[in-house]
Amino acid sequence: MATLRRLREVPRHLLVCEKSNFGHDKSRHRHLVETHYHNYRVSFLIPECGILSKELKNLVMETGPYYFVKNLPLHELITHEFINTFVKKGKLILSLDKDTYEETGLQGRPSQYSGRKIMKFIVSIDLMDLSLNLDSKKYERVSWSFKEKKPLKFDFLLAWHHTGAEESRMMSYFSSYGIQERQPRVALSTASELQCPVLRSGELGGAPGAACSAPELLDWLGAVFSNAQLNNEPNNFVSTYCCPQPSTVVAKAYLCTITGFIVPEKIRLLLEQLCRYFDEPKLAPWVTLSVQGFADSPVSWRENEHGFRKGGEHLYNFVIFNNQDYWLQMAVGANDDCPP
Amino acid sequence: TSRFRRAKQEPNVNIPGVSRAQGVASAGELRALAESCKERDSGRRQVDAALPLDILTYEEKTLSAILRICSSGLVKLWSSLTLLGSYKGKKCAFRVIQVSPFLLALSGNSRELVLD
Repeated sequence: MATLRRLREVPRHLLVCEKSNFGHDKSRHRHLVETHYHNYRVSFLIPECGILSKELKNLVMETGPYYFVKNLPLHELITHEFINTFVKKGKLILSLDKDTYEETGLQGRPSQYSGRKIMKFIVSIDLMDLSLNLDSKKYERVSWSFKEKKPLKFDFLLAWHHTGAEESRMMSYFSSYGIQERQPRVALSTASELQCPVLRSGELGGAPGAACSAPELLDWLGAVFSNAQLNNEPNNFVSTYCCPQPSTVVAKAYLCTITGFIVPEKIRLLLEQLCRYFDEPKLAPWVTLSVQGFADSPVSWRENEHGFRKGGEHLYNFVIFNNQDYWLQMAVGANDDCPP
Repeated sequence: TSRFRRAKQEPNVNIPGVSRAQGVASAGELRALAESCKERDSGRRQVDAALPLDILTYEEKTLSAILRICSSGLVKLWSSLTLLGSYKGKKCAFRVIQVSPFLLALSGNSRELVLD
């Protein structure tokens, strides 16, 4: 009976909504953007906008490149040269099934989201620590594991934030593995006569008859980017979804979606540029910036464990108001820690 | 700053329909199909089958759709669609790709990133 009940239950998800202002000293927006590493999809929506500014357009077109390399042996990521050139400080986190974990002979911990039977293990290797102590027993063990005991190879997506003219460094470093450079895909469009929810920056939970709530806004954003109909009648056979009320109709809205492997630093630049959108008076009361993580990433924010379960979602959304107030919504799925 | 959090209640289901013959031709047909599944599998006919279901999107080109159902109806809808083997005498199969209470999460799927 208990099993049947458990099977019928929907796994828990979490949505955290918070509000603040970009001018506040203690605002966490930078930290939260910078610690969400594996970003697959970035989109923004600007109501009352038909053409993108030159600055925004340039930023959008310069979010790449990222790199794809197949069958890269894991031991290449723990070499002194690789760490010093590309990583400097960071951790290599492996999410392994039970058999693979046991075969590596490495020290790890069981996944937080194991049931009675532990099926997944997490191994975390501090790369800076390793590279500073090449003679240590720890380095010897990890090296032996990756080279001899259980030589693991994976297909990798790599993205590297760097300053200066070191574009081809990544390509030349892994040239023997057939590394390919990719550019993120950019989709730009305008929507006409778009119904948009009315929002009040001070009212996260909405105000009856006056403003919509943060979760309603997030749903609406999902409907817009999924191309769902926003104005169905309550007795429509196919769908009853409609834009939350109160709403207004804007003549046009600009939508942009970038997909690929996008580094947090580029997202931070986009966020800053969108804040600057309101430096000059604009018709739009707010703009949104949404970021989705890779469904199969082993981490969400920082080292928080992330699991796919049924959707693999870990995403965040900014609503940037014209007075520099913002809303930040962070959503995660069942096999996830609460967002920071 | 202030924040609140809550567990979301309304799952959305992203489903591509794979059909060998002509398949489902419109969102309306898909809706009727889903209703008939639930009715057939509920065992208890009308009362139980009447769970509010929305077809939020339907794309004929890829034969994929986003469905919305309340949490209490998720398992029933999911299992009914999975078990459906034919429609109007033709073989078909439904594959559930993503399930999430966040519609925004269904607007993009990182597993669809084409690399090769």
